[in-house]
Amino acid sequence: MSTILPGEAVPAQHVNLKLGPGLLQLSSADGKSSIISTRAGELNHSANRSRWWIESNARRYVPASQESVIGVVIARSGENWRVDIGAAHMATLDGLAFEGATKRNRPNLKVGSLLYARVSLAHKDMEPELECFDAQTRKAEGFGELKGGFVVHCSLKMCRHLLDPKHFLLPMLGAQFPLETATGLNGRVWINAKEAKTIIAVSRCIEAVDSDGGGMDEASAKHFLGTLDI
Amino acid sequence: MKASIGWTAPPDLVLVRSLATLCRGAVTPVEGETKSLTSISGPIEVRPNLEQPSHATLDVHIRPLASISGTDSKALAATLKALLTPSLLLSHHPRTLVQIVGQALCGSNSGSGMGSAGKGWNTTLIASLVNATTAALLNTAAVPMRGVVCAVSVGRLRSQSASPTLILDPSESELPYLSGSGCFAFLFSSVVTALPDSEASSDVPPCSLLWTNYSANTSFTESELVDARKLAERGAVEVWKALKESLGSMGKSAVTLVGWKRDKNTTVKEVAEEPSESASESEVDDEKMEI
Repeated sequence: MSTILPGEAVPAQHVNLKLGPGLLQLSSADGKSSIISTRAGELNHSANRSRWWIESNARRYVPASQESVIGVVIARSGENWRVDIGAAHMATLDGLAFEGATKRNRPNLKVGSLLYARVSLAHKDMEPELECFDAQTRKAEGFGELKGGFVVHCSLKMCRHLLDPKHFLLPMLGAQFPLETATGLNGRVWINAKEAKTIIAVSRCIEAVDSDGGGMDEASAKHFLGTLDI
Repeated sequence: MKASIGWTAPPDLVLVRSLATLCRGAVTPVEGETKSLTSISGPIEVRPNLEQPSHATLDVHIRPLASISGTDSKALAATLKALLTPSLLLSHHPRTLVQIVGQALCGSNSGSGMGSAGKGWNTTLIASLVNATTAALLNTAAVPMRGVVCAVSVGRLRSQSASPTLILDPSESELPYLSGSGCFAFLFSSVVTALPDSEASSDVPPCSLLWTNYSANTSFTESELVDARKLAERGAVEVWKALKESLGSMGKSAVTLVGWKRDKNTTVKEVAEEPSESASESEVDDEKMEI
């Protein structure tokens, strides 16, 4: 758990070594290979030192396979939908990639609809592709169109925190009022509640706890929530 | 008779993390009175005419403090692009764009135009621009990097004797006394091979010189250039350490302003006959203010 800059050598050695995000293995001309970090952040490794990775905060999403993202439909191209997931390229969503969809029974999406989808294909040379069902069960499992609500933008590390069941924020908010959220790993969080002021309060809390907006801890967040008029 | 090297204190390096949400990663380093701001956006969507099938396109724009960017700004943008291309792993994001906009926040009052092209871009400003770009790249963490580019400026004092005195990071007020200056940019990475005469350190990766524009208005020898490079290397190591330290103190809580305030020791020791380097150490004041 130490701060590391890009280009620094990482002393990762194991029989079954797995390199996570931010690490790269380079081989030099004389056949020796070295592992260097490719981004700035905290170097972490698993307990048995077989898995190494770098924890960093970014704001720009780079698609990776099997990640859940929130997308906005921007265009229709034939039977497919073009979806903006905040990456460098637009993603493609097949019109039939929903639970129980057939040629006669398709979901009725419009340009501007919000979707909670899973990235099924992400490769640096190809456009990412999305699916709106779980990979194993082929059922919706929460994926699909999101109706109503409001989308908040936050940093990628904040999204990872929100998806962590041990993080304090969502249980703290859920204890105050009924709430529906969907967190995408692309820096977007969808919030739905009965009243507009609740949605606004939740979005302000998320922005306050985000390290970009100040990085509040639990006690200050609780105090902050108390000052909002809900 | 070797040139003597006096070492003024390394630059004040203050990294301010600004939270612009539109541009991802914007940092202002404040070097003495020299300031510049860089913003990085990327990898983002690219126009089809700029798209490259196997690499990300690097688009660098430099703006001076006043008026539109002219020939010297465009030349500096081309230099910065050449500096950054070996340090970034652009092949990881083909058909995307990484856009870098650098803005000078102070002009050149002296207009000495030494070394670098024309008025408005003195060597310390170029160094601060390169360091600002590096800090913004570290902040954005979305473009993979092979190493860290750090730059410092070296000036050469006007003197009648044959052994000129080199100083590190000449400030705006010292520019009229210089007869030569140049900016040196180094790439710090464990995959570069350092020159045999570099001072190795266990916690700092080896560095190699990427670019310099050292020039003078009288002739100078190759050994002077070597001395200037060695002096610049020591300064660049300090810049690297400052970047790492500010990164370590960033993150969890509120926006942190990390400043390295060193006493600017402006006296330069001129040692005539001895072929030894005289380095004037200065006190280090580490100030951290939490906003």
